[in-house]
Amino acid sequence: MTAWHLTRQQLDDYADGRLDHAMAMSAEAHILDCPRCRAGVPADPAWIRAGWAELRDVVDRPRASLLERLLTRIGVHEAAARLLVATPMLYRAWLLAMVVVLGMALATAYNVNGGTLMFFSLAPVLPLVGVALAYGRWVDPAHEFTSVTPMAGQRLLFLRSLAVLVPAFALCLVTALLLPGHGPGWAPVAWLLPALSLVTGSLLLSRWVPLIMATGLTGTVWTGALVSTVLHHESRFAAAYLFTPPAQALYAVLLAALGTACIAARARRA
Amino acid sequence: MTTWPSPSGIVVSARGLTKHYGDRAALNRIDLDLGRGVTGLLGRNGAGKTTLLRCLATAHDPDSGSLEVLGHDPTTAPGRARVRAQLGFLPQNPVFYPNFTAFTLLDYIAILKEVGGRRARHDEVRRVLDQVGLTDRRHTRVRRLSGGMRQRLGLAGALLGEPGLLLLDEPTIGLDPEQRIRFRDLVSEFAATRAVVLSTHQTEDVAAVCDRVVVLDEGLVVFADTPAALTDRARGRVWSLPERPSTGSTSWRSPDGRYRVLTPHGAEPPAGYGGIAEPLEPTLEDGYLLVTGSAEGTVAA
Repeated sequence: MTAWHLTRQQLDDYADGRLDHAMAMSAEAHILDCPRCRAGVPADPAWIRAGWAELRDVVDRPRASLLERLLTRIGVHEAAARLLVATPMLYRAWLLAMVVVLGMALATAYNVNGGTLMFFSLAPVLPLVGVALAYGRWVDPAHEFTSVTPMAGQRLLFLRSLAVLVPAFALCLVTALLLPGHGPGWAPVAWLLPALSLVTGSLLLSRWVPLIMATGLTGTVWTGALVSTVLHHESRFAAAYLFTPPAQALYAVLLAALGTACIAARARRA
Repeated sequence: MTTWPSPSGIVVSARGLTKHYGDRAALNRIDLDLGRGVTGLLGRNGAGKTTLLRCLATAHDPDSGSLEVLGHDPTTAPGRARVRAQLGFLPQNPVFYPNFTAFTLLDYIAILKEVGGRRARHDEVRRVLDQVGLTDRRHTRVRRLSGGMRQRLGLAGALLGEPGLLLLDEPTIGLDPEQRIRFRDLVSEFAATRAVVLSTHQTEDVAAVCDRVVVLDEGLVVFADTPAALTDRARGRVWSLPERPSTGSTSWRSPDGRYRVLTPHGAEPPAGYGGIAEPLEPTLEDGYLLVTGSAEGTVAA
């Protein structure tokens, strides 16, 4: 304990950062040693408590992944980013299966005459499988828990579908770019419109039937179109007709109609 | 002990609540009022306990009848949203995402429950982890947790967001005696200001924590009153005999070599044992066996 103490003026100057370096350092050394002067430094206990709590949270919370930080950086709400990033962890097996299937499609494209059609026939339904796994009693192990939360229902379904579709589309696009190049310049995205139409159709249907049934139905429609085209033209190369510009125009119209119906259904319910 | 049915603090009110699975009525025109405190649901497997809890939890819509939970009708979309915002539900044998850590799992559930901003949410996750004694395991992956720990993790998930109504389906399965006592303590403390409905096979749990007990049998409410009243149903009908009686009663062998005998049809000792039967103090289990009509043949033990 020392005999001298800082004046009120000195304490206020120290607290406000108005002292020069030498004075500040000696004031600090004294304050550390002298309870009376320490008590005299103005402090906001609530602010300090909040600071400690914040610090503890920073140290203790699980580290956000690069992707999660990127999403929050571009303006995605922190909670939504957490959900989006955590969701694909639930579907690792599906993601892995997708990589395997796309790898096989790629191998076929290089080794079989007309083999790229295998990729184009599969690409619209692969993301659909992911969506089917995104939500529901039969696919989510923790559905009993998640289905009775305020976020459950269409909102969670939509968020999870999005979380599944982004990696799915990315993988399909990368594969398409690796395909042996023939056809028009837009060929690598020829699968995109049918894929989006199928997904949008499924999400719309899921308002009335379970998601897994909805995706099953739209997936069947696609398979049916594929098979009937091949049978009608009596050639396995006929699947290419499903990706011609007229067909693409049809998908665009379909997608617009389904998208509008989705938005209308949402607005009506809200 | 809370007064029940409580005139002011009704949390759950059901009238003629019915739910079918195929042809079978899992709930058959149930009338029920539940107030604050802990209500225990007792009944055999398939008696309707889980169905009732799921209806209260907004997981199932009843086929008919009216239901009010926390002042809202969970069969309408706006009512369901309001109920879900104030609900904690622990399903039977809860399953989680095995690759998540305890903390990230609870954080995920807290997001789905729309608990605050990030800081408030993390604080809430820490609070419930501490409540169930899993703070040390917060960064352990779910698949590396023991059965009892997962059960506690599920309870923590249900406690997130300080719900007004806690629904627990067989919450004490997999807990060791120490954890069970801790669980009872937690539930009692929670229920001091809010409502808990728990289903169980353990009459000890009911005797230890429940203010009220509802016994379901084949979709019907066969008893609804205090645990003491359920025990009283068996008063004068429990006997100790030196041998197993031949008919008309439930009996099992006690560790002292004598037989504990329930006489369902009257307060008389089993026929033929008038002189040697010693009356015993009834337990909650005796009362339960009597109201469910299980006190017929011989129960092995």
